[in-house]
Amino acid sequence: MQSNLVNFIQVLRTHEVRVSPAETLDAVEVCTTLGYADRTLLRDGLAMTLAKTPEEEAIFLLCFDRYFQQDFADFSASADQAAAAAAPNSLPAPDDATAAEHYAATQVAALQLAAEDAPALQTLLQTPLMQNLLSNDRTELTLAINRAAEQVGLAQIQIFTQKGQFTRRILDALGEEAIRNTVIALEQAQSPALPVLQRYRDKLREQVRDYVEREYLLHAEGKTRQFMDDILSKTRLNNIEHIYLHKVHELIRKMAKKLATRHSRKRKLLKRGRLDMAKTLRKGIPNDGVMFNTYWRQTRKDKPQILAVCDVSGSVAAYAKFLLMFLYSLQDILPKVRSFAFSSHLGEVSAYFAEYPLQKAIELVNWKYGGATDYGNSLVDFAKLALDDINSNTTVIILGDARNNNGDPKLEILQSIFQRARQVIWLNPESRRSWGTGDSEMLRYLSACHFSAECNNLKQLERIVDHLLKSSR
Amino acid sequence: MHTQDFPQLASVEAIEQGFEAHGYICSRKIATAVFLAFQLRKPVLVEGPPGVGKTELAKTIALLLDTPLIRLQCYEGLDEAKALYEWKYGKQLLYTQILKEKLGDLLQGAQSLADSVAKLHQFGDIFYSEEFLEPRPLLKAMQQEKGAILLIDEVDKADYEFESLLLEILSDYQISIPEIGTVKARSTPMVFLTSNNTRDISDALKRRCLHLYIPFPTVELEERIILSRVPGVDEQLRHQLVNFVHSLRQMDLKKAPAISETIDWARSLVLLHAEHLDEELVRSTLNVLLKYEDDIGATESELRTLVRDSVTDNQVGR
Repeated sequence: MQSNLVNFIQVLRTHEVRVSPAETLDAVEVCTTLGYADRTLLRDGLAMTLAKTPEEEAIFLLCFDRYFQQDFADFSASADQAAAAAAPNSLPAPDDATAAEHYAATQVAALQLAAEDAPALQTLLQTPLMQNLLSNDRTELTLAINRAAEQVGLAQIQIFTQKGQFTRRILDALGEEAIRNTVIALEQAQSPALPVLQRYRDKLREQVRDYVEREYLLHAEGKTRQFMDDILSKTRLNNIEHIYLHKVHELIRKMAKKLATRHSRKRKLLKRGRLDMAKTLRKGIPNDGVMFNTYWRQTRKDKPQILAVCDVSGSVAAYAKFLLMFLYSLQDILPKVRSFAFSSHLGEVSAYFAEYPLQKAIELVNWKYGGATDYGNSLVDFAKLALDDINSNTTVIILGDARNNNGDPKLEILQSIFQRARQVIWLNPESRRSWGTGDSEMLRYLSACHFSAECNNLKQLERIVDHLLKSSR
Repeated sequence: MHTQDFPQLASVEAIEQGFEAHGYICSRKIATAVFLAFQLRKPVLVEGPPGVGKTELAKTIALLLDTPLIRLQCYEGLDEAKALYEWKYGKQLLYTQILKEKLGDLLQGAQSLADSVAKLHQFGDIFYSEEFLEPRPLLKAMQQEKGAILLIDEVDKADYEFESLLLEILSDYQISIPEIGTVKARSTPMVFLTSNNTRDISDALKRRCLHLYIPFPTVELEERIILSRVPGVDEQLRHQLVNFVHSLRQMDLKKAPAISETIDWARSLVLLHAEHLDEELVRSTLNVLLKYEDDIGATESELRTLVRDSVTDNQVGR
């Protein structure tokens, strides 16, 4: 059971439930404490040690049911046909087992009869595989499939196209070739036993296929997801198809959370507030109990403030969605993030992000602020809304391509922001080479930025934001 | 705490019955968690929406085992001086004064400086000793002779750093005090941490705990809870009011009513001598169930159908 449990935990890990070795030990202990008699009890107990969030628990329950499936495969080739023969107009009922048995017996008899003039069938009937199939020995057959699967390394299955290959390999390992050859021989001889044997063969194939399918779901699904995450984080943002949107959202959330834990608010010592008597006293002891130095209880929390401004005009529409998504997650996680969106005019969208779910919020923002770009006008709006709040703790992030349709760039406003803020960061989805070409005002704006970068995939975004938060302390 | 001392926790069934006797009706999952926590000596991290009985769980176990319940309410800015221990610095100050006066007597007969230092070393270092230690909830829980229930309430409200402080206590049941050394628990306490999920708890903390999520109860379970907590409600009304609360939980509300609200509501209905639900009655008592004006407004427009469905017992949630 223990190795079984360890395998199960391996499966959980590929499904993104993080299980540490210590938790594995706990799980073993849970098993010994609760015993194996009550399946639900054991499942709940294991869930408590292995799953740490409600989401993980849902995954756990799914995996548990898949992994510890108790029923053995049914190999009686004839069960459904027998039922159909017995009562052609009704559904096969489980309780005419006797009829099925009787039918199976006639099948075996038919095969044996045919075997008398077909030597190939004769030898086939002697093989353990065929014996098991004929007697419908499910335990033996399931074990045989398990052994064969281990032999061909089914646990290594990675992608769905491998399913057929693995099915074939397992069938070969089981010795299905003999059945196949005999079927061909019977076909040539036009033996009456042919359909009977074919049914047995098909049933076996079906069972192995199901088995491979199940194992694929257990082992490969998780790996495939990791693979996808890797690919997605390297793809240019506007090339990611709509269907992957929610996956990207998850990824961005993960990233934003990582950044937030690394850079959450920091405490600093202060020189005022309530006296830390204990500490002052302790530090005074070397001076004969005279308290020369005072120590204070209060610590100050460093509160970096982030103002994010995002261009949502047509020229950056594909990127805007992802940038907004990123802003949304960031606001969810970091304290004191204010978000703004603009194309021809600008407005604060923090409230939308706080109130609505992601999709709806992005829709609203696009609907309200989408249109043709006017950086000058938008900067004026921004100054009106937020210039007074900008101080030496503020980081301003601007996401946009700086393509101003040849309008007045109002550089002086950006400069005044530049002078007040701790940092002004410009993230441009265009590559650095095209900055300043055509109607791009990027080179001019650059003079009023502390930091600027090209940002068009998630990896770049993560690196930039990490850098940004580190220096905003 | 040892297994033989507490037959109340000998099996999952025994725990269920014991809880029921103390008026806490729980699902089997909760009982399993308590059983495991006791057998494996691991803390339990209880999560779930507010008002589903997370704190009540710890209180009930304390009642059931007749052990002291030590509670630490977490909040932003909670530090070790309030959670672990503090030195009694007033006494320490007096001690230094006394020491100064007595120093002459103590060192009498010492010939040289080295001699007096040697003599001084003979006295134990009382300045940092347990006598000057003021235990706070966590240390107090470690000092109980016969075990205790330690409830660390709303751990998500405390700062991130505070969680690291808990790690040593939760995994080894000991506290390191730099001046004294390691204080081991005299008897392992049963620890419950609750969280309302206002932020994510660190993995390190989660790893050390059994994880128990208490969701809103099923209709059957909630009816049993009402039966046990508010015995004055007759069966028909109980059924109707639980149905009504369940249909409220299906709605998109700012704060869905929890078990504690259902209990309060049942109590108010008993006070009003209600025998069955009707629209007028529900409208006038809705503020017991719903705590936001928006929620009340959203519900009132649909009150008629909601009440009718609860009374005729063909609601969506079943």
